[in-house]
Amino acid sequence: MALQLNLLHEEISEHRQRQRDPLKLGIYALVAFGAILFLWYGWNAYQTIQIRSQLQDVQAEWAKVEPKVIAAQKRAEELHKIIDSTKVLDGIIDSRFYWAPFLAQLAGCVSPDIQLISLEGTSADDGSSVNVSLEGLSAATEPRHAAEQFRQKLAEQLAKKYSSVKVEFRNLEDSDTTVNLAGAPTATARFLVNVTFDTKASTPETAASTATKTEAQK
Amino acid sequence: MPNKFNKDQIQKIFLSGLGFIALIYCYFTFFLGPLNSSRETMTQTINETQEKTASSKTELKKTANLEVQAKEATSRYEALKATTQEGAPIAWFPPKMRNFFDGHGIEKAGVKLDSSSAFKEAELSDWMKDTWSIELPAADYEELGKAIADLENSEPLLAVQKISIHAAPDDPQFQQVDLTAQTILFTQ
Repeated sequence: MALQLNLLHEEISEHRQRQRDPLKLGIYALVAFGAILFLWYGWNAYQTIQIRSQLQDVQAEWAKVEPKVIAAQKRAEELHKIIDSTKVLDGIIDSRFYWAPFLAQLAGCVSPDIQLISLEGTSADDGSSVNVSLEGLSAATEPRHAAEQFRQKLAEQLAKKYSSVKVEFRNLEDSDTTVNLAGAPTATARFLVNVTFDTKASTPETAASTATKTEAQK
Repeated sequence: MPNKFNKDQIQKIFLSGLGFIALIYCYFTFFLGPLNSSRETMTQTINETQEKTASSKTELKKTANLEVQAKEATSRYEALKATTQEGAPIAWFPPKMRNFFDGHGIEKAGVKLDSSSAFKEAELSDWMKDTWSIELPAADYEELGKAIADLENSEPLLAVQKISIHAAPDDPQFQQVDLTAQTILFTQ
């Protein structure tokens, strides 16, 4: 048998060692790993750029809308203020006491034997109640009776329109003065009547009870 | 591959390992970390801005609806504002009242300002109330009644608070009348 000798085994061995050098293999692995990391970073950067572009679009849209929103909010505040103010003003207007109908009713109750000398009237700030003081003269055969009739008639008439009506004499006294009524001297009485009522509309029951009270007093 | 590493090789492997760990740390801390953080922030900002934009559209619709609903209130408010003339009330209100009563046959009306104050209600911060004394030296009762009726109907923001009627000593047909009226005026 021929003797087989490998005279190049050292070189082959060195070549294999060079190929399997751990440092070289380590460097290759490191480079591959670095490339993966770089690609991963690149992919994240690309996504970030896309999101940034989306953010710019959204912010541009908001920049267009924002001034309109601010103006709309301001206008809504103004409108709410107007609505609230109008409500309060309407409430004040509706709660006013109208003197003209009262003066008309009073004039309707004054008969020829009654003369009013003065009227002092005050309404509450919110218009809910009224206080009137009437000073006058009654001239009749029975002047006190004439004054009383005026008081009752006034109470009845006011009770048709208002509630909690009170018409009371603060003073009623015969006067020494006589007046000529239809050419005949007539006795007089001086009276002071206090009228109070609530401006809330009366109910039919309230008006009826005032009329009944007046009838009973007669 | 040698079965055992020599001291030099072990040192190299150790240093390489440290360097690798440092590299990974730097990568995540200084490169990928801020990038991801920036992306999360931008995503959050996008969501918030989109929510704001969506709610703003609702806001705009609400205001448009409110404008329609408040049309009546707006025109009523403008009408009430128009009752206040330009300038200081002391300059235009007395002549206005004098002319008004002249038109009803009641002459020489005297008008003076008693007091002026603001409203406590927040809704009426743009308005003020003035209290006036109106003196009518000679007024027929019937004409007075008509004048007061007309005044109360034509001036919604005027309220007569006190009325004083006395028979005129010289002429029993006429009465001396004192009115205390409160007006609500828009502050210019």
